[in-house]
Amino acid sequence: MLIELKDVNKTYNNGQPLHVLKGINLSIDKGEFVSIMGASGSGKSTLLNILGILDNYDTGEYYIDGRLIKGLTEKQAADYRNRLIGFIFQSFNLISFKTAVENVELPLFYQGVSRARRHQMAMEYLDRLGLADWAGHYPNEMSGGQKQRVAIARALITGPKILLADEPTGALDSKTSEEVMQLLSKLNREDGVTIIVVTHESGVANCTDKIVHIKDGIIGRIEDNRAHNASAFGTATIMK
Amino acid sequence: MKDLFTEIWESVRRNKLRTCLTGFAVSWGIFMLIVLLGAGNGLMNSFMRGSGEIATNTMQVYPGRTSKPYDGLKEGRRIELDDKDIELTSGKLFSKYVDAVVATVGANAQVSYGSKYVSGYIEGNYPSRKNMERMEVPYGRFINNKDIQLRRKVVVLPLNMAESLLGGEGGKASGAQLGHKLLGVEGDNSKVNPASLIGKYVKIGGLAWQVVGITKSDRTRNDNLFYAPFTTVKTVYAKGKAVDDFSFTFHGLDTKEANEEFEKEYRAAINLRHRAAPDDERALWIWNRFTQNLQMTKGTRILTIALWVIGLFTLLGGIVGVSNIMLITVKERTHEFGIRKAIGASPWNITKLILAESVSITAVFGYIGMFLGMLACQLLDKTVGQSSVSLMDDQIAMLVNPSVGLDVALEATLVLIIAGTIAGFFPARKAAMVRPIEALRAE
Ligand SMILES: Nc1ncnc2c1ncn2[C@@H]1O[C@H](COP(=O)(O)OP(=O)(O)OP(=O)(O)O)[C@@H](O)[C@H]1O
Ligand SMILES: [Mg+2]
Repeated sequence: MLIELKDVNKTYNNGQPLHVLKGINLSIDKGEFVSIMGASGSGKSTLLNILGILDNYDTGEYYIDGRLIKGLTEKQAADYRNRLIGFIFQSFNLISFKTAVENVELPLFYQGVSRARRHQMAMEYLDRLGLADWAGHYPNEMSGGQKQRVAIARALITGPKILLADEPTGALDSKTSEEVMQLLSKLNREDGVTIIVVTHESGVANCTDKIVHIKDGIIGRIEDNRAHNASAFGTATIMK
Repeated sequence: MKDLFTEIWESVRRNKLRTCLTGFAVSWGIFMLIVLLGAGNGLMNSFMRGSGEIATNTMQVYPGRTSKPYDGLKEGRRIELDDKDIELTSGKLFSKYVDAVVATVGANAQVSYGSKYVSGYIEGNYPSRKNMERMEVPYGRFINNKDIQLRRKVVVLPLNMAESLLGGEGGKASGAQLGHKLLGVEGDNSKVNPASLIGKYVKIGGLAWQVVGITKSDRTRNDNLFYAPFTTVKTVYAKGKAVDDFSFTFHGLDTKEANEEFEKEYRAAINLRHRAAPDDERALWIWNRFTQNLQMTKGTRILTIALWVIGLFTLLGGIVGVSNIMLITVKERTHEFGIRKAIGASPWNITKLILAESVSITAVFGYIGMFLGMLACQLLDKTVGQSSVSLMDDQIAMLVNPSVGLDVALEATLVLIIAGTIAGFFPARKAAMVRPIEALRAE
């Protein structure tokens, strides 16, 4: 198993304690394409942040590739985030004063890759995502779909084992959403990247092979969706 | 390294005005530090000028009046030093400490050359005087032993006297009255060649004396003191056994206490010879360059420390400013740092960014301040440094070479780097400590 969660609990303690994750048990294999669905406030983002080592959990165990992720120093956590995980956010989270290619280069910078090498790699990834012409542009000169593709290039450039996406299509129209989802499933199919997507949109979830439902802080139903017919709105498009 | 500077430049570029305003405070701090230290050095140099030219292990002894009755004699009696005192000083009693003793004897005298004349004071001296007073003799020589033995009628004149004897082509030095000549203009007499006076005869007291050397003028005094062999002056001016004063160098007295102890014994010995109370400090004046210097060094150190403290406090304002601006920067960039952390930046990566920016701002603006400060010192040198004040009939240059050395520049650089680090430390720590998930939530 690439990812294993055993009875993971998380409580937020700002003011009123809020027990958000109440014993999560979940296993995800290498090469899977999974979506997590659930009502607003059910703890999807919280779970994804724990998976991405951006946040820590209170009790339980979380393993990546057999390595226990617990009590890491900030330096170790930074290193794991850098090498094992690629993150895609709803709001893109590109650095506004850096160009597209500079944004994509940044994870390699933190690996100490030389200037020329990382520039070359960043250009390759941008090219793969059809953004070679936009390399020198700043984020505020690009559309939402372009920005999200830059963010995906940035997430992929270190060759991570896991790609985590928190509502990657949340800020995009249905056409662009579909393009992004097709891109992700292509990456999953052709490059074998393990992808976990958090979403509200059934159309988005329908693009994935497995749908994990989360309710009141525990894992509910896990749907096998390899047939891609879970969408109430049909299989071809993502409705908004 | 280059990447780091690119990052800093990006950050600074986005906040030009803010950075410049803060940087100005740092520039001002360093500017003040350099100017204060430079002016302080100038002031000290000008003090040193009056005193630093004499070998430090020298005591000068001159007679005074008794201040208390002793041995049946009343107070207020004038003491006169003579050959016996010299013998006593250089004799067995003090041979443990005293090296060479040289006496002086002198008289007011008028020197004339052709139609020019200058009033002055002829001082009979020994060759070793040259070293004791660290005299510089750019032309000719000082008095030598042969002069002493043969009682030659030779004189060594200071440069300003030589110039006015040679005539007024140079303009400012024209006329016989040199007394009011300003200090700064020495050497302006480009048309007179002082060396041409060497070997010539001047008239003093109706006798012909040969000029054998010319010393640099002593900026601190203006009484036209010039030198001749001790033996000659004594003969010509018929002083009998009396001497004006005498000086001696000494060794083996390394502390203030040892010097005081020696002075006490020495004073007692001389005083008793003249039937004055052994502890009568007014009967015999002892001017000890060594202890004087100790005090001067102490005073100098205190002044320097005081200037550093004032300068550093001025600089502190700049440091607080930089620290403040870095805090604002960190707050503004929290979200960005969150992104960086999410894609693998370690706390140290973030810390480095802030510290480097802080040190860069401090260093760049600090160097601007330092450069301007040094420029201001040069300006001081060209203006105030060239003027002099009249103090008790002595001309004293107010500032001599007001500047700071390379050592101070290096120290200031160190101060800047430390200051930048301190200024950036807390903001950097704050930036590094914030958890990525919280940073990402920040707007
Ligand atoms: N930093 C926090 N401090 C306190 N409570 C929090 C914090 N982050 C989230 N919560 C709370 O925890 C619960 C779960 O939040 P989470 O963001 O995981 O939900 P979600 O499933 O992603 O919801 P949505 O679909 O609206 O994005 C919510 O009730 C939320 O208010
Ligand atoms: Mg969410």
